[in-house]
Amino acid sequence: MNLNIKANKNNTFDAIVVGSGMSGGFAAKELTERGLKVLMIERGHEIKHVEDYDTAMKEPWEFEHRGKTTNISAEERWANSRFPGLGSEEVVNHLTNDKENPYIEKRAFDWIRAYHTGGKSMHWGRQSYRWGKHDFEANAKEGIGIDWPIRYEDLEPWYTHVEKFVGISGQKEGLEVLPDGHFLPAMPLFAPEVHFKNKMMERFNRPVTVGRVANLTQPQDIHTALGRASCQYRSKCQRGCPYGAYYSSLSGSIPAAMRTNRLSILHDSIVSEIIYDEQKKRATGVRIINQNNMQTEEYFAKIIFLNAGSINTAALMLNSKSNRFQNGFGNDSDQVGRNLMDHQLGSGASATVDGFEDDYVFGQRPNAMYIPRFRNWGDDKQTSYLRGFGYQGGASREGWERGISADGFGDDFKQNLTKPGPWNIRIGGFGEILPDPNNRIYLDPNKKDKWGIPMIVTDAAFVENDWAMRKDIVASAVEMLETAGFKNVTSYDRPTHMGLGIHDMGTARMGRDPKTSVLNAFNQVHDCKNVFVTDGAAMTSASCVNPSITYMALTARAADFAVKSLKKKEL
Amino acid sequence: MNRREVIKNVALMLGGTFSASSLMAMNHWEQSTSPNKAGAVFILTDIQQKMVAEIAEIIIPKTETPGAKDVGVPAFIEMMLKDCYKEPDQESFMEGLASLEKVKFLSLNSDERKGVLKFLEQETKKMKSKSTPFWRLIKELTLLGYFTSEAGLKASFQYVQIPGKLELIKLKPNQKSYAY
Repeated sequence: MNLNIKANKNNTFDAIVVGSGMSGGFAAKELTERGLKVLMIERGHEIKHVEDYDTAMKEPWEFEHRGKTTNISAEERWANSRFPGLGSEEVVNHLTNDKENPYIEKRAFDWIRAYHTGGKSMHWGRQSYRWGKHDFEANAKEGIGIDWPIRYEDLEPWYTHVEKFVGISGQKEGLEVLPDGHFLPAMPLFAPEVHFKNKMMERFNRPVTVGRVANLTQPQDIHTALGRASCQYRSKCQRGCPYGAYYSSLSGSIPAAMRTNRLSILHDSIVSEIIYDEQKKRATGVRIINQNNMQTEEYFAKIIFLNAGSINTAALMLNSKSNRFQNGFGNDSDQVGRNLMDHQLGSGASATVDGFEDDYVFGQRPNAMYIPRFRNWGDDKQTSYLRGFGYQGGASREGWERGISADGFGDDFKQNLTKPGPWNIRIGGFGEILPDPNNRIYLDPNKKDKWGIPMIVTDAAFVENDWAMRKDIVASAVEMLETAGFKNVTSYDRPTHMGLGIHDMGTARMGRDPKTSVLNAFNQVHDCKNVFVTDGAAMTSASCVNPSITYMALTARAADFAVKSLKKKEL
Repeated sequence: MNRREVIKNVALMLGGTFSASSLMAMNHWEQSTSPNKAGAVFILTDIQQKMVAEIAEIIIPKTETPGAKDVGVPAFIEMMLKDCYKEPDQESFMEGLASLEKVKFLSLNSDERKGVLKFLEQETKKMKSKSTPFWRLIKELTLLGYFTSEAGLKASFQYVQIPGKLELIKLKPNQKSYAY
């Protein structure tokens, strides 16, 4: 008892944020900037911005296996090496060892994890698109899942807030399907892409724009104040940026929170349980297990933000049982862990481009072109599936790699490969997946991990709507590349599982009715209002655009609400 | 397939006719070799190492710029097969070497060696196998090892460590690729 009193004193904060990734970082920033003393708890090891980006400045020849995945790394990181390139020695030490952190695949799920400071914000693709009005309305209109408790207008100011801080390069297009944001100067489209863009508008009335990407093309004061500098166009973002040019928790939100002197970060600490006080009817803190020495500890706060990543957030809630919440914390609706969504990835088409022989590029664009959703939009009505998809892709000149499949060897062959090859172009779809209560994660009733925490079981797969859409992703890609006049159009459709989009979400959804949802319109757990969930778990549907800035906008909005409520003594 | 048959087929191919007999020979070629199923650690013998080196050097010969041997490609190939390739590909590689040993590749003259490799390249296109064919393996590893080595990269391309800007440009005549 004495011990607890002592622990209480040192271990008490205004707010606890579980997780340091994209949304956790933003929660810490917003809460500390509003005056709260915050403890951020990260289950993985500490990574220091810039100094721990150990591969960032390596020369190509300094990688022993030149970027290929070794058999050892493929075995240790069996899940994350399912994503092309993530097993490579450029990044592999910054991704989670799946062998040491196993999960059970009842149905195969590609769960890509990064257990360290900043989480997956260190590795994200940086594509940043606002949702459209339709994305918040579709569930209600179509009778799918449940209705969002918010609309675009609720999130709009928070998108702007996030975009200003993050720094997003993009082109305003005035499209309803893809609302404009607050942009830094856009990166250019390459010559064959401009040709493609013009053809698509001319033949299909489909807009094409350059990707909206969280790389600083022209840093503003808000960015340089944190030591962030302009993109150097190396396109080696995945190693961690030594210039802080792309946004991550490490380059952005954590330093911003740190400069308030109100943030403490605890590393190597797995939150095993949310502590619920049956008398006060509120969560009072969390219990952690040190991942290295197995010691447990309790921390306390007035409010708790769960930002562990959608699967881990749901697992933590399910593992937090009390008299009040015998089915898992906040799980009266039985929706915690369900409605697991992702985006479809891995299908599209490529082609070779005749001409443009004297067009070339200096520098590497860490970005792509973007084709906004055109299906089930405007006059288009698909009979075989709901919702739609966007394409990301781009044109590039072939490098020496073209020699691998080309005929020949010897002097001329060698000489020829030193020059830029022909242009080719590739577009790949990102498709919306519908919420389905049978797509879920749950805790294994018997098996436990080495910290004694029940193991997570993934039980999700694409359904009919997804397969029908996927067919169209391939067919439309072929049609568009052919229409643009490109040659050797080849479709691809890699066999993938859910999860490969690395956009897992939906496992503690927002909604209006506590009977069918876990969170309310401000991301509060319906039945325990001082706990907020603002990572991907909160998502009621998935849209087809990349989700990170939506997570951040939801987080900033919820943090603002939480602090106002605290001040009004409503929490 | 014996040495004479290989040479005959090579000659046929170089003569421009690609006959059924060369196809059949290729079948023999595949059947005549027994895969190294020991499951042991992937190690090459001295002769095999020599063959790998000679083939890599034929693919990327020394010219006014370094060749495959100069930049350590042969050892790279062996290391990569051991560390990054699974057993079926390792076996496929060993089969390829065994076939070449059978036709005494190392005792062929330079033109004959090139002929054998041209023949192999054509035949590889027709192969349907789950593992990666020998020719594909040695070619991709030679190119990777060479063009990403410090000397090979710097001799072949204009190396730009930090571009600092993104610019659409027009290619000058004979301009080399940028490498980053």
